[in-house]
Amino acid sequence: MEPLKVVVSGPVGAGKSTLIRTLSETEIVDTDARASEAIGKELTTVAMDYGTLRLDGQLLYLFGTPGQERFDFMWDVLTEGALGMVLLVRGDRPQDFPQARRQLDYLLSQRPVPYVVGVTRQDQPPVWSPAEVALYLGQPSERVVGLNATEPRSAASPLVRLLELMLEADTP
Amino acid sequence: MAIFGNLNHMSLGDLLPLLSVQDGALEIFNLEQHPRVTLYFNGGLLHCLYVSGRPAEPLQARGIVSQLVAAKRGSFEFVPGARVRRCPQPLGWPLDQLLLTTVTVQDEIQGLERSLPHPDTIFAMTQDRAPSDQRLLDFWQRAGALLQQGASARELARRLGMPLEHARYYLLKLRQLELLAPVRARRALARKASVASRLLHSLKRHFFGDRQAWNH
Repeated sequence: MEPLKVVVSGPVGAGKSTLIRTLSETEIVDTDARASEAIGKELTTVAMDYGTLRLDGQLLYLFGTPGQERFDFMWDVLTEGALGMVLLVRGDRPQDFPQARRQLDYLLSQRPVPYVVGVTRQDQPPVWSPAEVALYLGQPSERVVGLNATEPRSAASPLVRLLELMLEADTP
Repeated sequence: MAIFGNLNHMSLGDLLPLLSVQDGALEIFNLEQHPRVTLYFNGGLLHCLYVSGRPAEPLQARGIVSQLVAAKRGSFEFVPGARVRRCPQPLGWPLDQLLLTTVTVQDEIQGLERSLPHPDTIFAMTQDRAPSDQRLLDFWQRAGALLQQGASARELARRLGMPLEHARYYLLKLRQLELLAPVRARRALARKASVASRLLHSLKRHFFGDRQAWNH
């Protein structure tokens, strides 16, 4: 079976690397480098994160995009041909929402990729709920799920929702 | 009296009050973005703006004035009494208000930097209703045909001859008024439902066993 690709995108510090690390069955390949500007953390992804997940013989590649906008060419490269995309945003950092919306609008206007939005840090209130983030992003509430990226079941929930929505879309 | 100098030492914002009481033409050259810009003043109004020897229409003129206000490079010289040869769309902008409006837009763009859309996001009209604000209306009228089909800020800036940041700003403002929305790319390759179904069952079994997903 041909491997399938799922892209995890979102602003810096949204939890992309954490989500992939939590879901991946193999040691993740990361391209972290010391941040050259003040982005709220010491290390940041500069090319991509890469992990794998095997489901009944079907290999899934999990690719995390860099969060900084100067690497936006990587968003295009990584989303091409993807099975779907999970865009993550930290629910306790509303200052990142405009960037999340910009990424989402851009990617969806360039690629016909199925997607969901994941709102991280749901376990650490005060935090925006998925429904509130959906309102801000102008997305249907069913496309936005809350999660804790460090907990395997919770981290898998955006993928579950993504596949459910793909199934619904294909149902006549 | 001779008014000349360099924008590096004296900004257009400093010059405009001087020129509001004189008729003539301000020639600006050696600019980064344009070879030559000429502003014609008459009775305290910016009557017409020429760029590279051609009259600019209002939307383009607004963008150029904004660039001039922020320009750090460019030589200028005022020619008293010079009159414009041809001006198909006279601007008639009072200089005091022009500066205020331009600076406000520049300030607003800087303040909105985090919210401006990506230059390549494609937007399309969602309503025929025109905006009431004059600046937005200028843009709406010029960009209307392109936005009916769907266009990005980068394309609009190139086709309409305006600064990219201004195109992004106008798209944001029109979106906030719900007159525009980002376009979704059309689905080219539909994944088979069987793939999604197979993966979904497998994923649920892998992470949840028989239990429901965390968010369900």
